[in-house]
Amino acid sequence: MYGIIAFFRRHYFAVLFVVLEFLSLSFVFRDNYYHQAGFFNSANSVAGSFYKTYNDITSYFNLKSENTQLHEENMRLHNSISTIPDTTKHPKIAHVNPYGQQFNFISAEVIDNSTNQVNNYITLNVGKTQGITEGMGVISPSGIVGVVIGVSDHYAVVMSMLHKNYQLSAMLKKGGAFGTITWKGDDSRFASLSQIPMSEQVIAGDTIISSGYSTVYPKGVTVGVVEKVDPIPTQYFYTIKVRLSTNFKKLGFVYVVSDLMKKEKEELEDNAQKANNVK
Amino acid sequence: MINEWAKNIARFFVFLFIQVLILKHIDLSRFINPFLYVIFILMLPIRTSKAWVMIIAFATGLTIDMFYNTMGYNAAACVFMAYCRPAVLKFYAPKGEYDTSAKPTIQSMGLPWMLSYAGTMVFLHHLVLFYLEVFSFHSFFTTLGIVIVSGITTVGLVLLSQLIMQRRRV
Repeated sequence: MYGIIAFFRRHYFAVLFVVLEFLSLSFVFRDNYYHQAGFFNSANSVAGSFYKTYNDITSYFNLKSENTQLHEENMRLHNSISTIPDTTKHPKIAHVNPYGQQFNFISAEVIDNSTNQVNNYITLNVGKTQGITEGMGVISPSGIVGVVIGVSDHYAVVMSMLHKNYQLSAMLKKGGAFGTITWKGDDSRFASLSQIPMSEQVIAGDTIISSGYSTVYPKGVTVGVVEKVDPIPTQYFYTIKVRLSTNFKKLGFVYVVSDLMKKEKEELEDNAQKANNVK
Repeated sequence: MINEWAKNIARFFVFLFIQVLILKHIDLSRFINPFLYVIFILMLPIRTSKAWVMIIAFATGLTIDMFYNTMGYNAAACVFMAYCRPAVLKFYAPKGEYDTSAKPTIQSMGLPWMLSYAGTMVFLHHLVLFYLEVFSFHSFFTTLGIVIVSGITTVGLVLLSQLIMQRRRV
């Protein structure tokens, strides 16, 4: 017993080091858990309100570019509305989906954002109170931004597309081949699209959109355009460099996407899997 | 004595703000990613007990992590740095011992001492932080490049901050 006490007295500094380092590393390797807890991240009330106050002051400087962006988006929406058939004259279309609509968009303001880290996160001024939950997609007027990974009552933390764990199921608008978008950690303007088979025709300038296979984003949200295509001789897939359509350095207002049929879709998939397992 | 406490607490908040409001958003290159806030830990009085330095470093790291959404990364780097601090201080100790009035500043210890002390400590901190963060993401040498370039930037900012503080006598 005395031996143990003597040991701790002599090596208390080393013991303290081991304990604190172990604690820190356990935080590191349970990263996701703490994000979901919404406490030890920028969604907590201290960091959240701090960023919000700062953003309230500085956001005035971006009003002009923000306004231009919204104006352009309005124009695009006006143009696309004019091509949609009038559902009152074609009642069948309105009944395709019993909910009337599948996706609900919640407006949010970016109060903190980074682009120069290996793993970038975005803090939004909306949270549980506004109906935000983990796993919802985030899009900007120009394209995909990321996915919500943690929420508190009034704030949300978003895993930016510029994050090493981010993956997105995307497709070529022309041809419709599917692939996966990931970020290589070097440049906030570019991402990489993999798993597009060599049998597909891909040229620089082709548009890439979200596939809509997950319940995170609707189908057809712009991701970016093909910048460069690298065929790998020994493999069957291209490596494609994609210029992202979202300017991550200038994020102002974004939309959080909630899929109203998410629960139904996931339940159906679960049941199908269970049924499969029984066999 | 109380004055010394107040100065350290003020320093903590000032450099926390500079870190999360300004330095976090500077995006010149992925190689330049300075973590100036460590100056707070560097400038804790030399006589502070090593266990206290480590506990303070842990808390500082966690606070930065909260703002950066990097749970535990900065805490791990700061704890490691604090663990090495007694050895680093001993290694660079002037002949005999540190004066009782000695402070880890340019003013008190001179530029060569401050440069080697800050350089060593910052390098240790950045080494842990960036290698932990990338974890087989970038290549070994890219990360080493980031550690070195960011480290030099941080040390430069530390020295610059000290010169500014010296003028204002804080």
